[in-house]
Amino acid sequence: MNPCAAPLPIERLIEYWFDEIARDEDSVIEEHLFICAACSARLQQLAAISAGIKQVVAAGDFGAILTGPFVTRLKQAGLRVREYRVPPGGSVLCTIAPQDDLVVGRLRASLGGVGRLDVVIHDPADGALARLEDVPFNAEAGEVIFAPGAAYLRTLDTLSQCLELVAVTEADARVIGKYTFNHHRYPG
Amino acid sequence: MPYPSPKESAGADEAALARRIMAVAPSRDRDAEGELYRRLAPRVRLYGLKHLRDAAAAADLAQDVLLMTLQRLRSGEIREPDRVASFVLGTSRQMVIDRRRGETRHQRILTTFAADLPPSEFSGDRYVLDNARLRRCLEVLPERERTIVLLSFYDERSAADVGSEVGLSAANVRVVRHRSIERLRRCLGWSGDDSERVR
Repeated sequence: MNPCAAPLPIERLIEYWFDEIARDEDSVIEEHLFICAACSARLQQLAAISAGIKQVVAAGDFGAILTGPFVTRLKQAGLRVREYRVPPGGSVLCTIAPQDDLVVGRLRASLGGVGRLDVVIHDPADGALARLEDVPFNAEAGEVIFAPGAAYLRTLDTLSQCLELVAVTEADARVIGKYTFNHHRYPG
Repeated sequence: MPYPSPKESAGADEAALARRIMAVAPSRDRDAEGELYRRLAPRVRLYGLKHLRDAAAAADLAQDVLLMTLQRLRSGEIREPDRVASFVLGTSRQMVIDRRRGETRHQRILTTFAADLPPSEFSGDRYVLDNARLRRCLEVLPERERTIVLLSFYDERSAADVGSEVGLSAANVRVVRHRSIERLRRCLGWSGDDSERVR
């Protein structure tokens, strides 16, 4: 493949893909893409990543911090979502049923004034297992939505895990909520 | 915002293939036709994915546009073979407009020209993902990037929409989105710097 003498910046290709640029510039980019194999190949990479992400999520093979509106859209799209709402200091018995596509823990918390938020995952017996740094959240929603991969949950028998929400500043780190999830295999 | 054209590549290879196809008409240069299809079909499919947001419709569009292009080259109806890529773009645009109006010509074109389709090995797909590897690459993204990638690519949300859900400005989302895509490309071995590549 010939190299491109004036490659389109990848950020412009991303914006093109998401319809975030003006129509006249859109046309210029398309004319470039149709005569340039190298830039077209980079756009193919974006398209392949986009398609792959849809497949990975649909397979439940993926854990992430989600947003409330996103969970709502997943349900509207027909995914079966099992939800556990847990207040600070609360605990819940949880599971994943065969028909579930996704399980989410909605960790309620007062997030006003919080800049950076970490999630620390503890095993009651073994101590801290992982720290998810600088997770996304919407303070107005007053919750963090934690979604472990469904495929992972299906491998578990019983497991107890404690999650902590930690507000982090340059000066200190303050726990603003602890949540205990007692997972058990779906009966039957 | 103007962009310079990619002068060195400039579709020269495609133009040479188009001239070969025209030169032997009404006989057929199947190698040249297959190679032209392999080069241009992925570009039309991308155009279709972007504008139709449907993989099957995009694949149909690529087939229809390239079949029509090959027919026009064989019949000498394309006056400037050096601009064959521009002809393909123009045809793609018109067919997308037609599809949006509900005027789907796919079945008619297929019925008329089915025998002219190049073999399936000319589909031109360069990037077929191993989903297990993509999952591992997603898992090593920082949490915020992973969420933004998910909202952007799974949910096909604009930077402004994503920003409103995660409490960031659209400009910040664009920066994070760009950074995470570069990480994924490196992780998948699709960029020059493979330092973050996983297998």
